[in-house]
Amino acid sequence: MSAAVDTAQEPQAVPEPAWGRHLVAVGVLAVVLAFLPLVLPPAQQSVAVRVLVFAILALGWNIMSGFGGMFSFGHAAYFGLGAYVSVWLLVEQGISPWIGMLAGMAVAAAFAVLIGFLALRYRLKGAYFALSTFAFAEMLRLYATNSDLVNRAVGYNVPLRSESSLAYMQFEPGAASYFWIALALTVLALVTTIVFLRSRTGRFTVAVRDDEDAAAALGIPVMRTKLVTIALSAAITSVAGTFYVQYYFFVDPDVAFGSSVSIQAILPAVIGGVATIWGPVVGAAILGPLNDVTATLLRNPPAGLEFLQGRAGLDVMVYAVLLILIVLVLPQGVYGSLRERFQRR
Amino acid sequence: MRKPWIMAVALPLALTACGGSAPPGTEGTGQGGGGGGAGETITIGSLHPLSGAAAADGQQMDNGAQLAVDAINEAGGIESLGGAQLELASADTQGAPEVGQSEAQRLIQEGAVALVGTYQSAVSQNVAAVAERNSVPFVIDVSSADQILQQGYRFTFRLQPSAAVLGQRGAQYLAEVSENAGQPAQRVAVLHEQGPFGTAITASFTEEAQSAGMEVGPVISYDPASVSDFTTQITTIREAGADVLMVAGYYRDGVLVANAVDTVQPGLDAVWGVANGAFDTPQFPGEVGEAGEGFFDANYRLDTTNPETQALAELYQQTYGDEIRTAAVLSYDAVRVIADALERAGDASPQAVRDAIAETELESLIAQEGPISFDENGENANAAPILMQVLEGAVRQVYPEEYAETEPVYPATPGL
Repeated sequence: MSAAVDTAQEPQAVPEPAWGRHLVAVGVLAVVLAFLPLVLPPAQQSVAVRVLVFAILALGWNIMSGFGGMFSFGHAAYFGLGAYVSVWLLVEQGISPWIGMLAGMAVAAAFAVLIGFLALRYRLKGAYFALSTFAFAEMLRLYATNSDLVNRAVGYNVPLRSESSLAYMQFEPGAASYFWIALALTVLALVTTIVFLRSRTGRFTVAVRDDEDAAAALGIPVMRTKLVTIALSAAITSVAGTFYVQYYFFVDPDVAFGSSVSIQAILPAVIGGVATIWGPVVGAAILGPLNDVTATLLRNPPAGLEFLQGRAGLDVMVYAVLLILIVLVLPQGVYGSLRERFQRR
Repeated sequence: MRKPWIMAVALPLALTACGGSAPPGTEGTGQGGGGGGAGETITIGSLHPLSGAAAADGQQMDNGAQLAVDAINEAGGIESLGGAQLELASADTQGAPEVGQSEAQRLIQEGAVALVGTYQSAVSQNVAAVAERNSVPFVIDVSSADQILQQGYRFTFRLQPSAAVLGQRGAQYLAEVSENAGQPAQRVAVLHEQGPFGTAITASFTEEAQSAGMEVGPVISYDPASVSDFTTQITTIREAGADVLMVAGYYRDGVLVANAVDTVQPGLDAVWGVANGAFDTPQFPGEVGEAGEGFFDANYRLDTTNPETQALAELYQQTYGDEIRTAAVLSYDAVRVIADALERAGDASPQAVRDAIAETELESLIAQEGPISFDENGENANAAPILMQVLEGAVRQVYPEEYAETEPVYPATPGL
C-alpha cells in the first residue's frame, strides 16, 4: 500500500501514501474525462459508460477483497440488490432511482453484514469464505427467479419517459449526462476509497488483513472492522447496479445476480492491480473497450489478417491471453507493477 | 507511485484509443450486390449471438439475414428507390444484454435504417429500448418474452409467436388432437425451465388447458443450466397419475427428459413439448433413439410445404453446408419485411420504414395462419405454432391439417 515518501510530511515509521496527490489526481482525471463526451461519438460513449460501471463494481470489490483480504466471489449479490431495490421502488412505487440508489446501498450493506457475520462467525477462511459468498449470490439469484415479489424470472423494464429527467436519471439516448453521472459516481467511489484508507478503520482493515492475530492482540476489534469493510464494499458495488439498470433499462435475475457479474467485479481489479487505489479503474479502462476493439478489428482487419474477417469470439481469446500474460508478467496488475517500478527504493 | 498524474493523462488516452470504430459501409460476408442499381446503399443491422453458448443458432440467423439481403439485391434491389442495394451490418451480441445495447447503438449511429435480432429475450429487451429511443425500427426474429412488446414501444415488431400464443395454441392442439383420437387428455403434468421463457409458456398453457376442461398438475420447474437427471421429477409425475406431460425447455434438458421417461416408464399418453428446444430438431431422434419416438412439439416452424422455403433450405445447404433451422428462416423473413417496407415507403428514413412496417401484408416462409401483419403492439397477428411429432426417427408436421405431412399418432406412449 505504501507509495513514495512525501518529504514534505513529517517522517513516520511507516511511509505514508501520498493521499493529497491521489486526491489531486482524482480531481484532474475528473476534469479531463468530463470533456470526453464532447469528443466521443455516441457508440463509443456507451463503451465509456460501460467502463465506468465496471470501474465502480471493481472499486467496491477491491475494498473488501483487496484491502480487506476477504476474497469475495459473490459481489453479484450486492450489484443485484442495488439494481433490484432501485428498480422495484421505481416500477412498483414510482420512487426516483436516486432515492432507490440510497435504499439499494442500505439493503446491500445490511445483507453484506449479515452474510459476512455468518461467514466470519463460523470462521470460514480463504477459499471456503469465497465459496460462501458465491453461494449467497446464487441464493439471491434463485430467490429472485422464483419470487412473485420481484416478477420472477421475467425481471423489470424501466418505463420510458417522454422527456429527459434528472430526477429519474433518464435522458436522451447517447446523452452526455449518462456519462457524467457515471463519472461522478466513479469519482465518489475513488474518493471514498482514499478517505476510507486514511481513516482509522481503513488502517485497521489493512492491519487485520496483514496479520489478524497481531491486530487482535493490539486491541483492534477484528470482527467489527471486517464488517464495516464488507458493508462499505457492498454499498459501493450496489451503486453500480442501480446505475446499470437506469442505463440499460432492463434487469432480470441472471443479469443482476449471475456469476458473470461477480467475475466482472474481480477481473478489472486483478488486471489493474489488487489492493491499489487505481488498479480497478485502470483494469476497467483496459477490459471495457476490449470487445469493441476486437469486434472492430474483425469487421475490417488490418492487412495480413484478412482471415479474421467476419469471425466472432476473438475478444474472448484476447481476454484469456491477456489474463494469462498479466498474471505471469505483471503479477501485481498493470498499475500495481508500474507503481512498483517507479517507486524509489 | 511518484506521479498519480500519469493516471490522469493515460486513462483518457486509453479510453479514446478505442474510438477507432469501423467506417460505415464495411462489406459483409456476402458477395455484394449483383443488381447494379443506380441508387444508394441501405444498411440493415443484424444483431445475433455469434459467440457464446447460442453461437450456433446466432450464426444461422445471421446467415439467413445475409441470404435475404443477397436475394433482394440479386433481384434488383429496392426499385422504388432507384434500385438501391441493401447491405447487412452484422454485430455480435455475445448473448449479453449490455453488449447488445452498445452494438445496437453503434449500428444505428453508422446509419442502419432498421435492425433485426436477437434470439435472447433479455438482449431483445435492451435493443428494443435503444431502437425506441432512437426512433429506428427493430424487427425481432426470435425472442419469446411477452413483456418486450408490453412496454408501449412503437418501433419494435415481432415475427415469431409470443409466449402467450405458443402456450395457448399448445394447449388447444392438445385438446383437439386427443379429442380426435377419442382419448381426451384429462390430467396434464408440466415440466418447465425456470427462466422467463418456460414460466411464460407454462402460464398461458395452463390457462388454456384449464378452460378446455383439463386438470393441470403437478407443475415442476428446473434450472436448465445445472439439471443433470429428471428421474425424480418423472417419478413424481407417474405417482400423480398424469396422462400427458407438457415440457417447455431447451435442447439439452429435452434429451434428459426423454432418457428419464424411458427409464421410469410413467405410462403417459403423450410427451407434449411446447416451443421445446429439442423435440422438433433434426438431431433429437438421432441422439435419443427409440426413447424419443412419438414425442410431440408445438412450435414455430419453417413451412416445408412452401416451394420458396424449400428453395431457401437448398440454397442454405449449398452456401453454408448445414441444414437450415427455423430461426434462420425467421431472420430471412425479418429482412424481407424491412425490404418490403422500404419498397412501399419509397423513402429510406427510419421513421418512414417504421410506418410502412406497421402496414405490412407479406407472405411468410414460416408456417402461419396468413400473411405477416402486425397488430398495434407490434405482434405478428398471424403467427402461430404448428404441431410436430417424432415418427420413425424423423420430425414430421402433423397438425393443423393444412400443414400436416402425415397424421398424428395419439396416444403415443413413449418407449413402447
